[in-house]
Amino acid sequence: MKLSKLNTLAIIAASVAATATFTASASSISGNVEAGKSKAATCLACHGEGGGKPIAPEYPILAGQHPDYILAALQQYKSGKRKNASMNGFAAALKTQDMKDLAVYFAAQPSPLRSKY
Amino acid sequence: MKNLFSKPVALSFACTVGFAAAQAPAVTPAGDPVAGGKRAVAVCSGCHGVIGSKTAFPEVYAVPKIGGQQSGYIYAALKAYKSGERNNQTMKGLATALSDKDMRDVAAYYAADGGQGK
Repeated sequence: MKLSKLNTLAIIAASVAATATFTASASSISGNVEAGKSKAATCLACHGEGGGKPIAPEYPILAGQHPDYILAALQQYKSGKRKNASMNGFAAALKTQDMKDLAVYFAAQPSPLRSKY
Repeated sequence: MKNLFSKPVALSFACTVGFAAAQAPAVTPAGDPVAGGKRAVAVCSGCHGVIGSKTAFPEVYAVPKIGGQQSGYIYAALKAYKSGERNNQTMKGLATALSDKDMRDVAAYYAADGGQGK
């Protein structure tokens, strides 16, 4: 009886893991656009309205960017793999869920960015 | 002829340089988008021109959209990849092969093109 319960648990765990892997590979990030909007005030000071109008030419447009790229950039800034005095500081204060929310928020904004050429 | 560089001209030049220096990194690099386009097709479009492209293992995520991106940012990113300040093996390899002019041209191409494609 114990063994079959364990087996059931193992099957559930495996299917959850498989679902998680699938979600990640489909690059659907479990973020919330509205939550991201409320967390984006700091970002907009430099990246502009909706992340689409940066205040300086060397700052990137974030609006419309791929969400998993934004998430990866924030994680790299937090870990220190990617270095930028401003961004390292901002990212250090973010939790993973904050990053996901910001990523889906910026990805959803109107943008001049295109992935092809 | 000697007056070509008269004081007012020299002064305004100095002011311009001074202003640029005060805003140090905020410079939009001048580049040739036509030359950049040729470079970009050869070097960049294999990944950035293919919808759905992902980075290589171990960190897998979509390569960024760069059509329509700010030229100053693209130029800064390429320089950072070449110097090693920004760490991505694929981009380091590609950026290392680019001269400063190539980087300016490629940046101008992507920024000016606006991603409309041809």
